[in-house]
Amino acid sequence: MADLPEQNSGTLIGGQYLVDVTRRLPDAGGGVMAFAASSLRTSAFPLMALRVDRHAPARPRTLHNLVTRVEGLLTPLAHGIGPPIDGQAAWFVICQAPAGSPVSSGLRPWPETTLIEFVMRPIAAVLEQLQARGITHRGIRPNNVFQTQPNRPVTLGAAWSAPAAMHQPAVCETAYTALCHPAARGEGRTADDVYALGVLLVTLALGRPAMDGADDRTIMYRKLELGDFVAITGGERLPPILYDLTRGMLAEDPDHRPPPALLRDPSGARGRRVAARPASRAQRSFKIGAITVWNNRTLALAMALDPAEALIAIQGGTLMYWLRRGLGDSGLAVKLEELVRQNAQDTLTDKETALSLLTMRAITDADLLMPLCWRGLAIFPDGLGPVLAAALENEPGLQRNLHDIVNSEVQGIWAAMREERAPSGPQRLEARQRRAVLQIKGPAGGLPRLTYTLNPIIPCASALVGGRWITSLTDLAPALDAIATTTPDADLLEPRIAAFIGARSERLLDGEVQALGHEGEAADRVLATLKLLTELQNRFHPAVMKGVTAWIAARSQSLVERWKNRERRAAVDAQLTALAALGFLQPILFLLQDQAGHAADLEGLRSARASVAEIDAELNQIADGGVLRAAFATRLGQEIAAGAGLAALAITLILAAMG
Amino acid sequence: MATAVKQPTTKQGPTRQRKAGLASSNRSVVWLSGLACGVLAAIAPGTATVAAGLLAPGVVALRLDREPGRPVARAVLTCGLAGCVHPVTTLWNTGQSFETAIAIVTDPTTIGIAWSAAAAGWLLTQIAPLAVRVALEAVALARATRLRAARSRIAEAWGLDGASNNE
Repeated sequence: MADLPEQNSGTLIGGQYLVDVTRRLPDAGGGVMAFAASSLRTSAFPLMALRVDRHAPARPRTLHNLVTRVEGLLTPLAHGIGPPIDGQAAWFVICQAPAGSPVSSGLRPWPETTLIEFVMRPIAAVLEQLQARGITHRGIRPNNVFQTQPNRPVTLGAAWSAPAAMHQPAVCETAYTALCHPAARGEGRTADDVYALGVLLVTLALGRPAMDGADDRTIMYRKLELGDFVAITGGERLPPILYDLTRGMLAEDPDHRPPPALLRDPSGARGRRVAARPASRAQRSFKIGAITVWNNRTLALAMALDPAEALIAIQGGTLMYWLRRGLGDSGLAVKLEELVRQNAQDTLTDKETALSLLTMRAITDADLLMPLCWRGLAIFPDGLGPVLAAALENEPGLQRNLHDIVNSEVQGIWAAMREERAPSGPQRLEARQRRAVLQIKGPAGGLPRLTYTLNPIIPCASALVGGRWITSLTDLAPALDAIATTTPDADLLEPRIAAFIGARSERLLDGEVQALGHEGEAADRVLATLKLLTELQNRFHPAVMKGVTAWIAARSQSLVERWKNRERRAAVDAQLTALAALGFLQPILFLLQDQAGHAADLEGLRSARASVAEIDAELNQIADGGVLRAAFATRLGQEIAAGAGLAALAITLILAAMG
Repeated sequence: MATAVKQPTTKQGPTRQRKAGLASSNRSVVWLSGLACGVLAAIAPGTATVAAGLLAPGVVALRLDREPGRPVARAVLTCGLAGCVHPVTTLWNTGQSFETAIAIVTDPTTIGIAWSAAAAGWLLTQIAPLAVRVALEAVALARATRLRAARSRIAEAWGLDGASNNE
């Protein structure tokens, strides 16, 4: 690899990995676009690069925690910007490439012992190691599990280059997760991986995809109506050991599924039976929208999918009537009636939010395992970050829903209703923290700021940066310079860029970013912008930025006009032009923020005003003094006449005395 | 025994008393002046005749000038006195006879000079205030021009154009 073309060195990932974007690996990514990759150093295994979508961020915590190789898993090795694809900058996650083909290719029924020995036990071992590191896989599906040759342990594919479970088909996830927005399924628990492993085992045992041909809505409905195991197996007979194992692994309640450590010992796992009370079925059905409801689980699903119809049924009381008479669940009916009563008494919350809260509470009351359901959108709170990133891709409706979820701290309310499953304190605290970020004032706050905060490696989503992949302020500064050079009229600190700076500056630029939000004169806003850009250049890109200096100089007229003395102002203007040509912002800031100079200027202005006032007073005095001058002139003239007379008398007397 | 009755005092009382005092003092001056003139006419009838003839414009001015300090009368009298010095000296050198005094007073040249002097005094009282007024206005105008120039310079340097309405 030492003879690599020199121009490729700029696209090395992690300093050693090279991506060949001309060589696609169609089956390696398990549904994610994968390319061949190589290392500058000797590598014991083949490599691949998984492309990360701009609005579907990779999993930073997983990439961070998975630093050492795990046997039987395509472990991530590095991530970063690689060569562009179709002229667009691209981000890749480098990881081991699978040696064989996915088990989904050429599906046939697998023998029970092979499934247990070469599929279940190796994957359980991987899950156990992942659990020990506090991470989940969330990508166990037939096209993401690989086998080099028959009767060899399978290798679990990569699941790092997209939000957790984003590419999972609905059948591989519980109905509760499948219901969620693909990017909002959350990191979940190891029990979710166990569930997906159970689906994989059933698929391989049957030799065909489970629930094949059913759409996502049908899959969710059947799982909730019939129970996951029955829905997935479809009544097919499974080998006895596998039957017992998968029945436990496909339990509706995650707490009832066997942990990975137990799965490594199939006999132990088989013997672990947790009795779960099946959902009671109503004698007669109830319709919410187009969905026929038979039990509380399908009721929750129907309300989540059609909240408007659900609200009508709740407010009209027909649902509570059916719950009492049809399903025989008076407890749930009482809870819903209490919710309606609380909603009627709530005069503080706006009506739309109050009704959405009522529906969300009703859904959670109907089935505690349901995700947070808000106006037809379902998310798990730990999936909020990725779904926010997805919402940035021009989805105003989704943005509005997410904004309302965070702003109303719905996460905390939802968690408080599930107190018996998990303590709600941390969720309430997290909801409050997220709301605080959302409510940061000014261009650097709001939903973009929260999005960047919750997604530490997504690129800047501003339309101004175009196809550039900017994940750090070190990259942003030169990009801003280029933007300012090509489009001088651009608003360099538009909200998505300002929020990006606020989130990525790690509190170094907090003061400057907050100052952007202060309302004031145009000059104050320009000064705040100048200070932020100056700090950005000083701390993250101490190089010439002539585009940005010219951009700020063009907008600094209001700051120059703060100088009241015209000569000084002209001198400052000339200096500003000269400094802008140098490309450094700090001298411009010193020039425009010269406090001593401004104080002297203001003092001079005060003095000038006083002088003008004095002059005006004197001019008025002169204008009004005509009468006084006339009186004085008369008096003085008469005195002069009298003096002249006396002088004449004196002279004649002297002349007379002298003879 | 007669009892003393106090006169009621009013606010106008002192002013009236002051005015009454001034009137009585003026009257005294007139009486004293008349007495002095009478004494002069009795002791030196020639000199008195010359003075009366030559200072007649001054006496008229004194009579007509009602301004405080009588500035016009003062100028006319002093100038008239200047015109009287030579005739009076001539009278005294020729024995101060009444006939000589009449001759001097009736001499058109002598009386013309004396009265011209008095006229010059009057003219001076009319011209001098005007000349002073012209001089004062010129000084004020020059000062205003300098001030306006200074104001324009300051306003231009500090951008105080809005304050130029006072100009």
